[in-house]
Amino acid sequence: MIDMIGGVAGRAIGNIIEQSLDSAQGGSAVSGGQSTGASFADTLMNMGNDVITNLKDAEVQSFKAVSGEADTREVVDALMSAEQSLQTAIAIRDKLVTAYLEIARMQI
Amino acid sequence: MDPLILSSRIASSGLKVQESRLRIVSQNLANAQSTGETPGADPYRRKTISFSWELDQASGAAMANVSRIGQDPVDFDVEFDPSHPAADDKGMVKMPNVNMLIELADMREANRSYEANLQTIKQTRELLSLTLDLLRASQ
Repeated sequence: MIDMIGGVAGRAIGNIIEQSLDSAQGGSAVSGGQSTGASFADTLMNMGNDVITNLKDAEVQSFKAVSGEADTREVVDALMSAEQSLQTAIAIRDKLVTAYLEIARMQI
Repeated sequence: MDPLILSSRIASSGLKVQESRLRIVSQNLANAQSTGETPGADPYRRKTISFSWELDQASGAAMANVSRIGQDPVDFDVEFDPSHPAADDKGMVKMPNVNMLIELADMREANRSYEANLQTIKQTRELLSLTLDLLRASQ
């Protein structure tokens, strides 16, 4: 059962990474085997940047709320989407770290 | 766009619309006794609000939107009160055309719609986090 879930999650991540790799490659128009590593890093960096943008937006909204400029709903919206993207990023990071550790522990 | 995130955004537009509705209701209720200041002057006229849907270009979703804040054309009630500053030469004062019962019912309806939209947001959040749990559980 656990294996099955792991397989599904792994496949989902694989799809996401492949999709983002494709889009990253389409954008920067790089080709060849060498570029794969760079675009993967790019993908991760893009994801990180998205998360940071969301967090900053949430921060700005919170400050606005303190000074009475923003609606409660807008603040909650911003905070929730920031939390959501942070959680996603953390989950994917954990997954990647686990995968890396697994490779590192591999018997040669 | 992710349908789950999209639906919470749509629900958020519903919240916004209901907030505006509640604002109009509170205006009407607060001014239920607001008369004019000069003899024969018109009192507060009840405000109405109507909604419409707006197609979100990026996602193709129908977002709720306030289309118009209008005025209720119903005639004012008149009361006999000669000492009132807004009384005309016959001693009649025009009172606002606000019906408390209707406003309260409207407020209750806005409240229920708001709760329903909140529930949608809650549900989408729960589904998203359950899906993310798949990643965590397999570690």
